[in-house]
Amino acid sequence: MFTNRCRCINCITPPHILNKLLENSDGRIRDAALRTLLVTSRLRGERTVRGLIASTAAASPQGLRTISDCANNTSLPAATIGRTEDGSASTDDSVNRAFDGLGETRDFYKEIFDRDSLDGHGIRLNGYVHYGASFNNAFWNGSEMIFGDGDGVLFTDFTKSLNVMAHELTHGVTEFTAGLEYHDQSGALNESISDVFGCLVEQWVRKQTSDQADWLIGAEVFTPDIGGDALRSMKNPGKAYNNPTLGRDPQPDHMSKYVSMPDTDEGDNGGVHINSGIPNKAFFLTSIGIGGFAWEAPGQIWYAALQASTSTTNFQEFADTTYLKAGQLYGSQGTEQQAVLSAWKEVGIRISGVRSLAGTTARMRRPVAAAAANNGRDEDPADVARKIEQLTGQLATLSKEVANLKSKPH
Amino acid sequence: MKIMVAQHGGQAAGINLNRPPQVIDSAALDESKAAELKGLVAAATSAPSSAKSTGKARDEMSYTITIQDQGRETALSQSDTTMSADFAKLLAWLQRCPKN
Repeated sequence: MFTNRCRCINCITPPHILNKLLENSDGRIRDAALRTLLVTSRLRGERTVRGLIASTAAASPQGLRTISDCANNTSLPAATIGRTEDGSASTDDSVNRAFDGLGETRDFYKEIFDRDSLDGHGIRLNGYVHYGASFNNAFWNGSEMIFGDGDGVLFTDFTKSLNVMAHELTHGVTEFTAGLEYHDQSGALNESISDVFGCLVEQWVRKQTSDQADWLIGAEVFTPDIGGDALRSMKNPGKAYNNPTLGRDPQPDHMSKYVSMPDTDEGDNGGVHINSGIPNKAFFLTSIGIGGFAWEAPGQIWYAALQASTSTTNFQEFADTTYLKAGQLYGSQGTEQQAVLSAWKEVGIRISGVRSLAGTTARMRRPVAAAAANNGRDEDPADVARKIEQLTGQLATLSKEVANLKSKPH
Repeated sequence: MKIMVAQHGGQAAGINLNRPPQVIDSAALDESKAAELKGLVAAATSAPSSAKSTGKARDEMSYTITIQDQGRETALSQSDTTMSADFAKLLAWLQRCPKN
């Protein structure tokens, strides 16, 4: 397991050694050290500024919420409004839970990823409760969230689970980003992304670290008579339930157990809710490997990978992207990237061509570093390093000034 | 008339995979209930869903209602976002029906 040590230094070579290398007589070594310092400094600056922007932004005036009551019918147009953004609390607990769950999910995306609602542009959030009669489900219909009351035998009200609500909303985020097709591996990734960020919303609200969280999806939706932990377990896919009423949790936790199913309704579109157990476990292992709050480095890596994915991205491609993003965000060969590598390996996915990927990263960084270093002139690498230190100091001063501005009353 | 109801997908997709279809035999129902069921089946069979899937729904469930009557078998398959009102009425009735 990886620990939190050296979290302030996100590259494997400490800065004081890099500074020493800048004095080396070999020009190639000086260049390599300079590139590493530049990239590390740039990424540190990006993280600082991104964090400042996110924390400065208060809850968005956009993404307004409306919760409607279907009164146990299936017609959405016939539903009556139960609560609006500025309206008073309802006497109906389901309405209030849905209202709070949508709000907490919206706030999470705003504060952690500076994302304004599901589409990034403040799209309204419409939720419907008491859908159908004894409806054992919650779903995203392509633009709105729908929650059933459960049949009271197996399931209870689906608004009782915050991570189920956040799961549905995250389907909207995925649709507006990668648009992962809902079948086979891209579909299982789509489901996994909803489980990952559903869990993160809940952990963020509860302020739980990775090792404190239960990593269960829908732990609250079973009735007390049903002997099951949850709908799914990210920590232990395949072990969320096992009893005569529900059967046995069919989720695999390793590629060797991948379940091939037909791409039909009966086959769960190629097992999208089944094989999501594999990337779910990879995220859990990454979070435990890095330690601390999972919405921080692990969440940032997964979110960046989601944004870099396409509609047909499969497990291998997504794993490779998380590895690449971990290196770009937190330093090549750092704790975070090693945790990602190890996690995917443990679920049976080896990051393809780590060497060639590392080369890609270096090639992506080189033009930026080279341009910054040369700027049309020949400069002494040691001078550039000193300038970097000066700029870092200026950034710290600027950060304090912004923080002071924030603390002053309006 | 024997009717089987199977549901697929949804948040509980893993559980739905394991569960056998619900079976309702009209011979086991009282006369008025059997007549009510026959009417609902006739309505659902004659009015297929006009809604087309957008392909954008996630976690929705789909349902297959198989009707065996006098040697003929008819299967109706619809989903949460595409089902007709008559299909929804039949499904709700069947789901309320005590398990045989």
